[in-house]
Amino acid sequence: MSPRRTETGGRIDRLRTIRFTFDGAAYTGHAGDTLASALLANGVTLFGRSFKYHRPRGLLAAGVEEPNALVTMLRGEVREPNIPATMVEIYDGLVAVSQNRTPSLAWDIGALNQLGGKLLSAGFYYKTFMGPVIGPLKGTRFWMFCEHFIRRAAGLGKAGTAPDPARYERMNAFCDVLVVGSGPAGLMAAKAAADQGVRVILADLEAHFGGSANWSGEIIDGMPAADWAQRAVGQLEGNDNVRLLPRTTVWGYYDGNTLAALERVTDHKETPAKGEPRQRYWAIRAGTVVLATGSFERPLVFPGNDRPGVMLAHAAERYAVEYGVLPGQRIALFTNNDSAYRSAVALKKAGATIVAIIDVRADISNDMRRLAGEAEAELLDGHAVVATEGGKALTGLKVQRFDAMSGALSGDERSIHADSLLMSGGWSPTIHLASQAGAKAEWDPARQAFLPPKPTQRWLGAGAFTGSFSTAEAIAEGRAAGVSAAGGTAAPAALPTVEAAPGDPDPAPVFEIKAKGKSFVDFQHDVTAEDVRLAHREGFISVEHLKRYTTLGMATDQGKNSNVPGLAIMAEALGKPIPEVGTTRFRPPYTAVSIGSLAAERFGDLKPERLTPMHDWHIANGATMYSAGLWYRPMIYGLPGETVEQAYVREAKATRESAGIVDVSTLGKIAVQGPDAAEFLDRVYTNMFSTLAVGKARYGLMLREDGLAFDDGTTWRLGEQEFLMTTTTANAGKVMQHLEYFLDVIWPELKVTVTSVTDEWAGAAIGGPNARAILASCVTGTAVDNAALPFMGIVHGRIAGVPVMICRLSFSGEMAFEVYSGAGYGTHVWEALIEAGKPFGLVTYGLEALGTMRIEKGHVTGAEIDGRTTARDLHLDWMLSKKKPFIGSAMMDREGLIAPDRLELVGLIALDNRPLNGGGHIVEELDEANPHDSLGHITACCYSPALGKYIALALVKSGKARQGTRAFVSDPLRNRFGPVEIVSNHFYDPDGSRMHG
Amino acid sequence: MAEQYLPERQSPLGPEYHPGSHGNFEHGVDVILSEMRPGTILQLAAWPGEERQLIEIIGKVTGLALPDGAGGGVSSGARAAFGFAPGKFTVVDEAEGLAAAFAGAITPAIGTLTDLSHGRTAIRIAGPRAEWVMAKFFAIDFALPAFPLGAGRSTNHHDVFAQIQRTGADQFDIYVFRSFARSFWKALCHASEEVGYEVQ
Repeated sequence: MSPRRTETGGRIDRLRTIRFTFDGAAYTGHAGDTLASALLANGVTLFGRSFKYHRPRGLLAAGVEEPNALVTMLRGEVREPNIPATMVEIYDGLVAVSQNRTPSLAWDIGALNQLGGKLLSAGFYYKTFMGPVIGPLKGTRFWMFCEHFIRRAAGLGKAGTAPDPARYERMNAFCDVLVVGSGPAGLMAAKAAADQGVRVILADLEAHFGGSANWSGEIIDGMPAADWAQRAVGQLEGNDNVRLLPRTTVWGYYDGNTLAALERVTDHKETPAKGEPRQRYWAIRAGTVVLATGSFERPLVFPGNDRPGVMLAHAAERYAVEYGVLPGQRIALFTNNDSAYRSAVALKKAGATIVAIIDVRADISNDMRRLAGEAEAELLDGHAVVATEGGKALTGLKVQRFDAMSGALSGDERSIHADSLLMSGGWSPTIHLASQAGAKAEWDPARQAFLPPKPTQRWLGAGAFTGSFSTAEAIAEGRAAGVSAAGGTAAPAALPTVEAAPGDPDPAPVFEIKAKGKSFVDFQHDVTAEDVRLAHREGFISVEHLKRYTTLGMATDQGKNSNVPGLAIMAEALGKPIPEVGTTRFRPPYTAVSIGSLAAERFGDLKPERLTPMHDWHIANGATMYSAGLWYRPMIYGLPGETVEQAYVREAKATRESAGIVDVSTLGKIAVQGPDAAEFLDRVYTNMFSTLAVGKARYGLMLREDGLAFDDGTTWRLGEQEFLMTTTTANAGKVMQHLEYFLDVIWPELKVTVTSVTDEWAGAAIGGPNARAILASCVTGTAVDNAALPFMGIVHGRIAGVPVMICRLSFSGEMAFEVYSGAGYGTHVWEALIEAGKPFGLVTYGLEALGTMRIEKGHVTGAEIDGRTTARDLHLDWMLSKKKPFIGSAMMDREGLIAPDRLELVGLIALDNRPLNGGGHIVEELDEANPHDSLGHITACCYSPALGKYIALALVKSGKARQGTRAFVSDPLRNRFGPVEIVSNHFYDPDGSRMHG
Repeated sequence: MAEQYLPERQSPLGPEYHPGSHGNFEHGVDVILSEMRPGTILQLAAWPGEERQLIEIIGKVTGLALPDGAGGGVSSGARAAFGFAPGKFTVVDEAEGLAAAFAGAITPAIGTLTDLSHGRTAIRIAGPRAEWVMAKFFAIDFALPAFPLGAGRSTNHHDVFAQIQRTGADQFDIYVFRSFARSFWKALCHASEEVGYEVQ
């Protein structure tokens, strides 16, 4: 039997023992325990070290708001820091370690920071690192010197660097009613909505539905509240129109009633089932949302309120009732409201001794006096706790008489021996999601709490979320909200009856006991009451400034415990009521969200990729693949021992000498159809297409509206009203959007459809002196001679029985043909062409050889059409029709676009016979150390087998006029400097005689 | 007839197509995945005002009575049709050659016909957890009342454009670009692992 575990009680499975380790020590717990409850049951009081002062900290809460007991979870090499131990369900083999301590939790060298308490107060960084400091280490430089040490000393857990092998998934869900929170209000709302027949999702961040019913000890409908909740859950489970999401934190409320939630699917399992994700990110589109998110109990601010053993009252009640664990044997309670009395009774029933109830109020109701008697506790009304005692665990506390109206302490201090002090500073409705949804919270002076704003989206509230703290109210509001959210009307059925302890929901407006010692407001960021007052003294009186100056509420718990006490202290310092001070708006996420769940599965093998129909053939035949956008294309088909350069030089050379074939299936292809297709193309392209004959192709250039070059390609006229447009691989999507935009928005009167047919066709380009002979040997149904298939002509025939469309056009500069077949026959046709080419020494070539041959020819691609160049810069002004307007024609002659010193396309030849690099700059000066301004840059480069030289294309200032002159390439990053000759971009066969045959 | 000598069309799924049961199937498979390989996939588009006439033509040629309205569709087993955008329809047939039947019927005054039989890959997901798996990919409400039998939707998953038709209470046919098909198939199999799936 562990020291704190009760004999009976709790919903843990005492027959199942779970083994786990914390900080290397072995512990046991029971199935159903959280890491927090299991460690507490084992007598552990020290769970962490505080952020700044490294003060010892124990458990404060029992749920998601826990600020102190943050642990790092280890699974194999993967570590996940800053997880509240209260939210970790234990499993066999769980490994957790504490954080922010050196060398151990018990003996932490960082605790020395406590000695420099005043130095480390609010604004420490601003004061220390922004102003001048004497000597060389000042301002930013001083910060850079100190940063390493500060980051080691202050902070939370340390993230791991090992890749996370866990699965994460994204899920989309739609529902009529989303109920957030499954306490009595949420359960009633879900059931009421489900009974109306609408689709309901019920989400709760805890593992077990029921919320406060699981630990309130109340009687609902004649049965223990926990049983009532389980019965309600059972009824919901039986409904097809209800989806239950336990362990699911709704963390974001966005426009259009879209909510984000994180489901911890297998974090509580030793081993996930096959295919099960670790976590699931839910994007939920809800018709109406019912927010039944409950409320948080607030701590009281008094000296030593952070000592291990000081806990929220309801948290202790939860540990006792839900987990069968007592936080101590001699328990004192300190409260400003009635709810702590119920906790005292519950703990008494669980076996603890309640030594005292210290209440700041002098006028205690008879009901509460009766409950104090039931708990056999000494009632110290009109008293306050002024100090706590002990080291890493509480040993006692001191109390003094207290006037709740003036806040004054009087009389002698009295010591009370206790090993646990429970506090209750009132309750704050959990309004985070409502705040995210877009409105300002409203202060309720009776509840001393911010209540939810008026809805600006379709949500309804119920239960403690609205400030209705009794279970009877929660049940009534829950049902009403559920019915209303489902668009129904409430049937006059009787509501479940509730037997609950009496209690006034309104606390005394007491947030802080001003006595000597550090009184913590924000436990997780070590912000004290004095820090808040210091911020006020230094002029940070806006609540937004207060937050940033002190970092109050900016830790991972986002101030769930601390916001209201912090504001109250600031309000008092300002002499203003709390509503005038205001509150900050909550932002998503409500709790920390794993990056993995947001990224979901779009990496590695699951990253979308595009493959050509011949992809597997390329792999099987030795291609080295290269990713080009989402596409995979052969880079080279290397022979054993070949370098990339050797391979592409061989491939290009063989193509120019005999024949080569390349997969061009990736080229963008768009079907442009309809009575106005030709007219449309005339408007889209700079040159004329309406004059193109059926069965012919033409090279076309498109400009953007601003007159800069956009894309180029050939377009084939397949019928009077049918064109096949080709685009560059990279721009296919952009061109499609461009066309659709103009058809939908600018020229809706044109009868034209555009359809992406990139994937419909497999394309093989075969070029070289023997290309025609190879085609002639395998094509049936059509001749391919010059008469039947002239330059830019199109014929239809068959290869190996498969219908093909052949267009004679060339990118390589050789006599070349593009052979298109249905994609499903792509490999079949490709293999037939390879077979036909064998007698001619046909080679397959990849992107490198393709690029080499296009550089030799001086053709442009996306490297030159880079969004900054004009048609004239690229010597394509011959394509700018003067007979018609076209997209970009109105803007292309702007002064800046026709300036004489623009970068123009040129060729470069390396005069030192060394490779050139893309991105290298062109300079005029011989002085390598001081090359002066750049004249331009290299866009593409290669070793040219046709010229036997290293060559490049470049964009150079006034490039055309510089042809025939010398300059230098300056590429200091790659240690390259050398002479080049500026030449025409048409290196090879400038008159096109090889291509035209 | 030259067509009879045509080779079998190559599936884009290639080495990623593994018939059999996979994933967490010890307790049964909740999803069946298959490649449909229809002979014809056509895109039909009507000029504004000609939509009803095109719907009539689709009815005459295929025998499918398309409901009027956005995303309406119908499937008969061998043939299916659905609207995927204003005035635009996808028409599918098990057999090849349906394009020829439409060619004469759709005049330039009515609209256009585009043959996408090779360009789109049809993947079917069926089974009690089909909606669950689909919800991992698409921000679409797959519940039967919201997505009725026969209806079609256009959407996308990451960069993969998809058209989806509901062809059964728990069955969907997904049309994706052929070049993306293998990648999408892999993702679909991966997502189906947790419910247990069978590839047919």
